[in-house]
Amino acid sequence: MASVTLDGVTKEYDDVLAVDDMDLEIRDGEFVTFVGPSGCGKSTTMEAIAGLTLPTRGTVEIGGRDVTDLPPKDRGISMVFQNIALFPHMDVYDNVSFGLRLRKYSGEEVEQRVERAADVVQLEGMMDRMPEEMSGGQRQRVAIARAIVREPEVFLMDEPLANLDAELRVHMRTQLQRLHRELDTTIVYVTHDQAQAMTMSDRVAVIEAGELKQVDPPLTCYDEPNNLFVAGFIGSPSMNFIEGEITDEGFTSTYTDVPFDPAAQGVEPGQAVTLGVRPEDVHLQWNDEQAAAPTDTYGRIVDVLEPMGDEMFVYLLSDEDVEASAEGRGEGQTLMNVGPGEDVAAGDDVEVVFDREKIHLFDTGTGQAIVHGLE
Amino acid sequence: MSDDRQPGPAGVDRTDEPDLDRGIVEAWAARMISNPERAYRASFYVATGFFLVTTLFPFFWLLIVAITPRGDLSDIGVFTPGGTPRTEVTIPLLEWTLAVPAGIPADVNAAAFLEIFDPNVVPFHWYIFNSFLIATVATVIVLFVASLAGYVFGRLEFRGRNPLLLLVLITSFFPPAAFFVPLNRMFNAELEVLSPLLQDGSLYNTPYAIFIPLSALYLPLSIFILMTFYAQIPEGLEDAARVEGTTRLGALFRVIVPLSAPGVATAGVLTFITVYNEYFFSSLMTDGQFQNWAPMLAGILKFQGQYQVLYDLMAAASIVAVLPVTILVIVAQEKIVSGLTAGAVKE
Amino acid sequence: MTDHDTDTNVLMRPLNWLETQSEAVFAYVLLAPAFLLLGVVALYPLVRTFQFSLLADQVSAPAPLGGVVGLENYVDLLAGRALLPQQFLDPTFQTPLLQQALFVTVAFAVLSVLFETLLGFGQALVLDQDFRGRRWVRVAIIIPYAIPIVIQAMIFFLIFNPTIGFGTEFMQSIGAFGSNPLASSSDSFLIVLVADIWKTSAFMALLILAGLQSVDRGLYDVAKVSGASAWQQFKYITLPLVAPALLVAMLFRTMDAMRIYGLIDATAGCQTVPSLSCLVITSVFGTRRWATASAVAFLTAVVIGLLVLVYLLTLRNREVGMT
Repeated sequence: MASVTLDGVTKEYDDVLAVDDMDLEIRDGEFVTFVGPSGCGKSTTMEAIAGLTLPTRGTVEIGGRDVTDLPPKDRGISMVFQNIALFPHMDVYDNVSFGLRLRKYSGEEVEQRVERAADVVQLEGMMDRMPEEMSGGQRQRVAIARAIVREPEVFLMDEPLANLDAELRVHMRTQLQRLHRELDTTIVYVTHDQAQAMTMSDRVAVIEAGELKQVDPPLTCYDEPNNLFVAGFIGSPSMNFIEGEITDEGFTSTYTDVPFDPAAQGVEPGQAVTLGVRPEDVHLQWNDEQAAAPTDTYGRIVDVLEPMGDEMFVYLLSDEDVEASAEGRGEGQTLMNVGPGEDVAAGDDVEVVFDREKIHLFDTGTGQAIVHGLE
Repeated sequence: MSDDRQPGPAGVDRTDEPDLDRGIVEAWAARMISNPERAYRASFYVATGFFLVTTLFPFFWLLIVAITPRGDLSDIGVFTPGGTPRTEVTIPLLEWTLAVPAGIPADVNAAAFLEIFDPNVVPFHWYIFNSFLIATVATVIVLFVASLAGYVFGRLEFRGRNPLLLLVLITSFFPPAAFFVPLNRMFNAELEVLSPLLQDGSLYNTPYAIFIPLSALYLPLSIFILMTFYAQIPEGLEDAARVEGTTRLGALFRVIVPLSAPGVATAGVLTFITVYNEYFFSSLMTDGQFQNWAPMLAGILKFQGQYQVLYDLMAAASIVAVLPVTILVIVAQEKIVSGLTAGAVKE
Repeated sequence: MTDHDTDTNVLMRPLNWLETQSEAVFAYVLLAPAFLLLGVVALYPLVRTFQFSLLADQVSAPAPLGGVVGLENYVDLLAGRALLPQQFLDPTFQTPLLQQALFVTVAFAVLSVLFETLLGFGQALVLDQDFRGRRWVRVAIIIPYAIPIVIQAMIFFLIFNPTIGFGTEFMQSIGAFGSNPLASSSDSFLIVLVADIWKTSAFMALLILAGLQSVDRGLYDVAKVSGASAWQQFKYITLPLVAPALLVAMLFRTMDAMRIYGLIDATAGCQTVPSLSCLVITSVFGTRRWATASAVAFLTAVVIGLLVLVYLLTLRNREVGMT
């Protein structure tokens, strides 16, 4: 078990800046997830921790020891890879014991440890199977067994569930959490899937274009995102954004006005701001008791319904002139999450309210959050 | 081929032919046209037969030469050893006469296969041993060195990669002769550094003089083959090996090389065969004495004695010398084809 | 730390050092053995050979190489001033040396590669089929490629040896050969050609077979469904998809054919069929023209280099045309 400290880690490829001056402190025993869109530098950051990539600048410490110049094998880490990366020419036992045998453990100890690791991921009786004879989930468990068998100080996981089918992915998510509890090891986890980040981590590190955007517990990232990027990335389906302006009366935009005292919210009249509200904080007018502090009502047209069984997503257009955009939600489109039995149909005119306490304001220019929840 | 004109089921069809005046060949052709699948099969058998005969006949004939008693060497036929009784047959119309075998040969001489190992004539086994050793050592060197280079060219991005690769390619444009004069000088020079290792300090008449040049000259081919193979191994496997505890080189030899087995086998077999078969350096870098590491080639040429050319022994020796590579081809053919399929051709 | 130390072994120290180096340093260190070997055996001799080619020949002086004459040897060769008593196609000994060798070599390369490609393609098509005993037919067809040059040469030497073999008698009976084919340049050329085709068609077959086997079999089903005949399948699927492999195989074969030496030396002899490589050797051993020999060697490489360029451009054009 050990802490991991990144200090000014930078990685440049020719003229591309993959990781930009990253500082991060991961505490002993913590489960931290790097999340961000593909190509954001999260994997490069993990490779720098693993030693598979030498950072252009900056230092990496593991357990207080500067490991920047150490090869991967001497860093006390183990890793699970996106493509699982089992050695196809070795059976399960040889795969799992590979690292132990390289380190010249005695045969007896190798056997004991492999048995223990196999026990944790429930691989009993599969020791002499070849990887090609196993299902995706079984291979994934072998990869995890190979990683835990050496009892590493830090456990790195690079998109380990990306190649599994949806059902298995959900199952493995709970398995990994259980594993973290049992092993009590520091885990650094990389994914582009915010759901995995939300469900498993102690803290989430949101990365965009090589920069850390926010490092906080999942619910903090969800409830109080530092900036537009985090607000939009965390949460599925994502937050509604409405671009507008501050006047003396509050927020104003083409279709939506929210009155408040600018001074009390720390904004100035004339400032360009973006209002953010999550789908579950948009309510039908006849349900406005569900909002802690409902806003005025806004007239909308129901575009598309997505009943999910336990809930229903309702895509709203602000005006009949608004064109429904094929790619995500454009200006004038709002997504609302309501109960499954609500009496709405496509083409209906409906009145909706926002929950003032769940409204976020961001500076449109810098993207920084200004306030979470209006007074 | 006559075989194809008389298959069993086809004979039944023939009775259906209404026009009895048609010749058999015509009827056969008509059936072929009406049934392209059959024509296709027939041409396949014809082609296979043709290729088998043309590739194997020279070996067969070599065997005939080897077992012909020395006195009958001038009497060797196309298909029969010397000394076979023959009768003249004249082919009508063409007015050619053919000598057709009319009995079994009076004397077949299998002793040639023993005589070639006679230490008083030419101890051919020593020449084979020399060739075998030289080819093995060269193959090991080439596979090791080409593995390192193939790994670098196949998997690493670095400044100077393409110019260096071009340099490797360019060396294979030159005829072996282009290297010969300076190499000959180098290997005949008495190098004091080497004098503790070698009797007179020169490399001439040592196995080094053959396998060092050959290793270098056949290195590029293996580099290209291995490069394409190593490039196909997923990066994750190398990373996994390194995280698990190998060095980068360890990952190469423990993971990348074993997973590229068809490619390594292809490169190895091709190198072994090429070195074993090589002519130029093999004929020029020793004085032809087996004690001086002269290879199999020199042994075969030794049978062209000073007073008499022992053709039967040359033939017998050739058959013996071909055995190691034949076995290699039989064992490795599947791997070579799959190796070439997966790798080199994609370049 | 629970891990055992991995770097206690003294042998591991340089490897551990290598681990911490940049990609480029690591690459150069790993390339060192290859370039050491290539440097000593190939690159250094090439530089020396090039130097030799700029010196004067000294046919009768104790040292075979004289003073610097610059490109004179090349000029003499290309202008046809370098004459040697060679008999190929020219009993008057007046054909310039290089032209003879160039003619022999290029004619040999073109003819042998042409026939080997056709035969090799045929063999590959046969081997690509599924039939009982394919394994042994494959061995039989490949085996000539594994035959040592000296044995290949000897087989054909014996076949066309007037007292032993049947070849000469047969060729004479159809009027193709003179009285002693192994002493006649044109007859010997044919013998060498046949011997080469026998051995190296197998090489073409191997590479083309590899190309054939990487063709997606599903394509043929698609073609059959759309009613393509066997010939149309070959023309529209097999040939275009195998073309890259075919060109690579032809490239390798051409490079090899341009360097033909051993087969000639062991059958008819370099005097009878003077290829470029033969010319280098006879110039060194026969007449002590080291400088001329070196220049010929370099010119050979230039010709091969040009051929490679043509092939590579063809390959590239095909690729551009496809995408």
